[in-house]
Amino acid sequence: MSLSKITVMKSNNNKNKLMKLIGCGLLVSLFIPVGCKKSFLEVPPQGEQPAVQFWQTADDATKAVNAMYGNLREWKQVAFAPIAIESLGSDDTEKGSSASDATFLNNFDNFTASATEGQLLDFWTGQYQEVNFANQVLDNVPGINMDANLKARYLAEAKFLRAYANFRLVRAFGDVPLRLHVPKDASEYNIPRTPKAEVYTAIEQDLNDAAAGLPQTYGPADIGRVTKGAALALHAKVAMYQSKWQDVLSLTNQVMGLGYTLFPNYEQLFRVANENNSESIFEIQAKYVPGNCNVSNSQYSQVQGVRGSVGGGWGFNVPTADLVGEYETGDPRMDATIIFRGETTPEGDAIPAVGDNPRYNQKSYVPFSTYVECSEGSEQNVRVIRYADVLLMNAEAANELGMTAQALASLELVRARARAGNNAILPKVTTTDKAQLRTAIWHERRVELAMEFDRFFDLVRQGRAATVLASKGFKAGKNEVWPIPQNEIDLSAGVLTQNPGY
Amino acid sequence: MKKREMFYAEKHPLYLKLLRIMKLTVALIIFACLQVSAKTYSQDRITLNLQSTEIKKVLAAIEKKSNYRFLYNDALLAGKPKVDVNVTNEEITNVLDDLFVNSGIGYKVLEHNLVVLKASNNNLPIVVIDKIVTGRVTDAAGQPLSGVSVTIKGSQVGVSTDASGNFSITVPDDNARLVFSYVGFDPQETLVGSNSTVNITLQPSSKAMDQVIVVGYGTQRKIDVTGSVGTVRGEEISKQASVNPISALQGKVAGVQITNSGAPGSSPQIRIRGLGTVYGNANPLYIVDGVWLDDIAFLNPADIENVSILKDASSESIYGIRAANGVVLITTKKGRSGQTIVNYNGYAGWQTVTNQIEMANANEFATLVNELSVANGGSQILNPADFSEGTDWYHHILRSAFITNHQVSVSGGTDRSTYNFSLGYLNQDGLVEGNNFKRYTARLQNDFQVAKPLKLGYSIIGAFTKSEDVPGGFWHQLYAAAPVVPVYYADGTYGDPSDYNLGDGANFNPQVTLDFYNQESKNYRLTGSVFGDLKFAKYFTLHSSVGGEYSDAEVRNYNPVYAATLKQRNTTSVLTLTKGNVKNWIIENTLTYDRRFGDHSVKVLAGQSAQSNQFYESVASAPNVPNNSEGDLYLRLGSTAGRNVTDKGTLATYTSYFGRINYSFKNRYLINASLRADGSSKFTGDERWGNFPSIGVGWVISDESFMENQKLFNNLKFRGSWGRIGNASVPSNISVLRVAQDPYLTAVFGGNLATGASINSVVPPTTFWEKGEGTDIGLEATILGNKMFIEVDYYKKKTIDAIFDIPILSSVGTSSGTIIGNQATFQNQGWEFTATWRDKINQMVSYSISANFSTNDNKVLEVTTGSNPIYGGGAAATGGQLATRTIVGQPIGQFYGYQVIGVFQTTAEVASYVQPNAKPGDFKFADLSGAAGKPDGKIDGNDRIALGNPNPKYYYGLNTNWAYKQFDLTLDFQGVAGVEVYNANLGLRFGNENWTKDFFDNRWHGQGTSNSYPSANIGGGDNYRPNSFYVEDGSYFRVRNLQLGYTLPTAMTNRWYMKKLRVYANAQNAFNFFSYRGFTPEIGGTPINAGIDANVYPIFATYNFGVNVTF
Repeated sequence: MSLSKITVMKSNNNKNKLMKLIGCGLLVSLFIPVGCKKSFLEVPPQGEQPAVQFWQTADDATKAVNAMYGNLREWKQVAFAPIAIESLGSDDTEKGSSASDATFLNNFDNFTASATEGQLLDFWTGQYQEVNFANQVLDNVPGINMDANLKARYLAEAKFLRAYANFRLVRAFGDVPLRLHVPKDASEYNIPRTPKAEVYTAIEQDLNDAAAGLPQTYGPADIGRVTKGAALALHAKVAMYQSKWQDVLSLTNQVMGLGYTLFPNYEQLFRVANENNSESIFEIQAKYVPGNCNVSNSQYSQVQGVRGSVGGGWGFNVPTADLVGEYETGDPRMDATIIFRGETTPEGDAIPAVGDNPRYNQKSYVPFSTYVECSEGSEQNVRVIRYADVLLMNAEAANELGMTAQALASLELVRARARAGNNAILPKVTTTDKAQLRTAIWHERRVELAMEFDRFFDLVRQGRAATVLASKGFKAGKNEVWPIPQNEIDLSAGVLTQNPGY
Repeated sequence: MKKREMFYAEKHPLYLKLLRIMKLTVALIIFACLQVSAKTYSQDRITLNLQSTEIKKVLAAIEKKSNYRFLYNDALLAGKPKVDVNVTNEEITNVLDDLFVNSGIGYKVLEHNLVVLKASNNNLPIVVIDKIVTGRVTDAAGQPLSGVSVTIKGSQVGVSTDASGNFSITVPDDNARLVFSYVGFDPQETLVGSNSTVNITLQPSSKAMDQVIVVGYGTQRKIDVTGSVGTVRGEEISKQASVNPISALQGKVAGVQITNSGAPGSSPQIRIRGLGTVYGNANPLYIVDGVWLDDIAFLNPADIENVSILKDASSESIYGIRAANGVVLITTKKGRSGQTIVNYNGYAGWQTVTNQIEMANANEFATLVNELSVANGGSQILNPADFSEGTDWYHHILRSAFITNHQVSVSGGTDRSTYNFSLGYLNQDGLVEGNNFKRYTARLQNDFQVAKPLKLGYSIIGAFTKSEDVPGGFWHQLYAAAPVVPVYYADGTYGDPSDYNLGDGANFNPQVTLDFYNQESKNYRLTGSVFGDLKFAKYFTLHSSVGGEYSDAEVRNYNPVYAATLKQRNTTSVLTLTKGNVKNWIIENTLTYDRRFGDHSVKVLAGQSAQSNQFYESVASAPNVPNNSEGDLYLRLGSTAGRNVTDKGTLATYTSYFGRINYSFKNRYLINASLRADGSSKFTGDERWGNFPSIGVGWVISDESFMENQKLFNNLKFRGSWGRIGNASVPSNISVLRVAQDPYLTAVFGGNLATGASINSVVPPTTFWEKGEGTDIGLEATILGNKMFIEVDYYKKKTIDAIFDIPILSSVGTSSGTIIGNQATFQNQGWEFTATWRDKINQMVSYSISANFSTNDNKVLEVTTGSNPIYGGGAAATGGQLATRTIVGQPIGQFYGYQVIGVFQTTAEVASYVQPNAKPGDFKFADLSGAAGKPDGKIDGNDRIALGNPNPKYYYGLNTNWAYKQFDLTLDFQGVAGVEVYNANLGLRFGNENWTKDFFDNRWHGQGTSNSYPSANIGGGDNYRPNSFYVEDGSYFRVRNLQLGYTLPTAMTNRWYMKKLRVYANAQNAFNFFSYRGFTPEIGGTPINAGIDANVYPIFATYNFGVNVTF
């Protein structure tokens, strides 16, 4: 074989074949030449399934639906990012931990966060990852030949989770790119922000579809999946953010007809043993699997756990003195919500009297004795919506619509449970003055749902963030939403715009 | 054998001029032809018609027309008269009889038709003793050299040595001189005298240009090479204390930058002519005896015969797809025929950290902790008065570590076969307790000359390594550990940071970390190749080889149950077993045609190759495995619940076809061209095959007639080359979208796990080769009587369509936020200078000095997405801000961050500036830009600028060898300049980590105390964000090696039946000079995370004593 032959044969498949023949034919050698068979270069992916083989069976659909749920435990969904974006802006919480650890979180506490803060991008990314998993299901499962009922339910579950993610996005950022399909190719990567109202419309559409397709309850093996009640309750909240009081009222009324009841013991409501109880409408399911830290990956409890104690945690997102001051005298919910330095918890953990912070979040608390590897408290579910929230939404909507009696009744249900039979505390609210009642409901919302990641957005929604949060640096016309992550704006080459004031 | 001996008296005086002796080279070529037919001399006949011709010319005419050759002294023919010769088909001997009759010249015909002429004035037969001389030719190490040409000086007669180095030649008399010459060695001449045995030791050529070097699929004389190839002899590698052969190359070769790591058993990072890729493996391809490898940490340096580093694209391109980051060719030692040689080399010594960082002591630490707390609105935590020196953690934990290395080799052979067997043992302790690396190597090589044209051989290397590992993140922990905490309390329990209310950051006792860490890594490896060489049809050689690599890697980690301090405890034991397996094979067939005719020399190579690389790894773990003995460490003894297993694998195949032609005209005009076509399973469709051409030209200027009269250059060569290469160090099928079935996607329903899988990535429509394209222009010269060798190169190397991840919009929702593909073009360009001076002052003192200096300019030329940067360097920052940026027009992975213009002294100063969140004592950042591209009165991400380059611009080495009588001294220096490192240890803080003494002394602690160092709150506020304070000059200069050896006199060693006994003392890295505030500026790291010092195993000095014995 001469070199000139080789030179001719390049960049052409046929010629390469010819070359192979020449190469193989040449070798009357000591060893048998290998590599001449056509199939030699055909190597399937190793240990990884090509996407073209997916979306074939009901089992594929099941896995893809499961993935949406699994992703909800992920760091960006339950840890620093939601603390920064959904909690620290409120007057309920502050950074916590040791003063010099993760100081960037202070920028959310005092409204100095600029668009380059990493948590903004983390939160943004986390939600869009969830949107993607939902879109994968919604785009691909319809084509799978499988049980029609199951398919319909899977699609409804995906719609709920897409709505949930989009709601978290629109609440945090205002106008956001609305993705209702998996991008076909690079031309669909870069899309502009959709006006907030349209995003809300899409969310409501998804939640309507979800409520229609979801069952009211599941068998024991499926506890943790989203239900009709969850879709209605989330929809009520979405409507509330748009002040669509009639919708809020009717949606919450529907939920109230589904048989949820308040769990009698407020403190126990948040313990691992009482997960998915009668009050639970939607919880992010977590579990500690010994030896499997990749699955035991929820750091929700860990990042908020008592700092400096074995079985505790990092001590971020701690209750403020201002929150302590909000509780009515004797309200047992204060002690159930806040771990005070030096106290002994109902579960018997002695909290050191000295330490970085005077208070910690008790709602994410997992007793030290159940200390597990991976991350402390990785078995703790995250309570997303519970029945008390629905009752308070119902009360607020009823009051706004002038249905005072219903408002008072719903409010009383919540207070009565908190009272736990002790009539010396938390007197029944009786005012029929709309404004006074509104204030009472807002107060109730704060103490009942404290440390549950809604307070900041409640204040914004209620139009009083600028007043209440003034001392923290909140500026009206700017801090109602967080800045769009700078990285994202840079990558969009100008397609994405920044929120005013940033 | 019949011999004619005649004597003729002088008949008439002939006046002849002096004859010129023909050049040896021509003689050798003809000699080769002679060998076949010269067994006996025949009645050769000749036709000549010459008028009035000098005898010398007559003889030349006879030589031209026959295979008779004449041996005489020019003086013999001086003044002899001219003669007429007119014969037709006459026997030559008759012609000679007539020619010399009465001329005063006698002659005698010897073997091979060699005719000896001598003065003879009485017409008596000349006395020709026709003596047979035998002997053996060896190299300096006593290894026999085969194929050495042995000629009688002044003639074209000669023989060559056989496989055992033996020769036998008939010489005319005792005055004959034998000339021994061999490619790559200095020729030697000796007078036969009364000896019948002549043994010769040849010395390697001191003429750099004559040395033979290994190139891709062959060898070439240095003078014939048109590309840029750096070579290092095995001897230079094995005599260093480096346990890794690549580490020993540091500072030895221009254009080759090596960054060592201190971790025992780890491989250094090697960059040939700069960083050319950002994805995957940026290290070169290693080829050991024809087997392609990614890493050669297992190789015993003492087994290496020589290393060639192919640096330019034309030399590399014969390796096509795998060559983009350079190629390192390693030839291991072979046995040589002759007597058995046994060699032992051993050393023992210790390793110790140099340039240790001084940390704040307990008293200073307490002060700083309080300042930090107060700066963050807290109160005093510790009372400094309670503490004085405290614990010096470096002092307590770091140790002088023992190292010992032993190697025994046995080599030898016969005419028909050779062998080389060696065993090696290395035992290296790490710098901390429990850290240890052991390497056992065995090597066997055999070559068989099965038949005259057929040679078979094999080489097998077996290696077993075992290491006791260092806990992850330990080095930063040691840096950060609080000096107020004792190692142990008086009652023997561990000192607990929580007793000092130190919170996070310093919440560990490094002694606990070490004591409860239990990880052992083992690696079993077998590498080898079998080859056959078949010579046929005079000019052809067919070479076939099968090679392979099989290795098993096992990592066993056991995390016991313990409770040592508040934060350092574990309640469930976990045993984790990781098993990795590599199965690679390669088959190569090459056909070489090698021929010289007239002024032309042609060598053509055609080849085919197929390879398969397979890797598989499984990781399994189980909780609650007991650990009472080694026998307990089985997963099956653990709990059933919580067992976990996962695995992964890769498989890639390649087929390749390649060809090369080397042509030279008059040894003066050289052209080398090659082409390789590679197909790889990693790519699909039309992109599967890549073609890699190259061309190189050379011009030996010193051979031109116009250079004849100059004295300066012994050799002067100009060369230029161009080539294209490819990079396959990328994952397979990257444009195939995959399903992610990751543990984090597992759902929990009803308390049970449910497997989740979906798609969380996007892929590009197609991907193709990452192409490299390089040009090289070089000049090589030997000057001043071959004492000095100079080589200068200018190179430019582009990586086109480099494959890596670039960020895409996060809203696409992928898990990585990136898309992989052919994204960018990088360029490295620079100069390389090498100068070597070798001389002898007198018989007792000789020396060599070799200096090399390289420059490299690394730049991103183009990114498909335009100006979008790629960020990296996460280890430098907490909180999501990255410390490196790769952007068009700048080097890969350059440091990027804020420019510090001072430290805020007062709240008033803060109030008057644009950093509203700052506090006094914080860094003051420059407002350099804004969203609109100009300063905008606020400090944000737009104000970040380029802060430094982790890719060295200059690197150099100076290597010297000195010999005086029985002593030898090696002194090597090495360094880099024009490079920055990121001192991430300073700002990587989560709480009360310790600070350096330097920081304590220089920190801001009140107005006017410092305008360069911040307050103790360096990890807080915005101070931790990547900024210019953390970027430091990474230049260094070091005495790399210092070795003094003494070889005992032979008279003494002979008595002990030794051929050679040498003892030596060695110091490596003993003296280091740099301004960097860390342990060492030699940091390393993956391409976009390079030069960041956060958890780096310190480099250490090694001192040892050794002995080298040859039997």
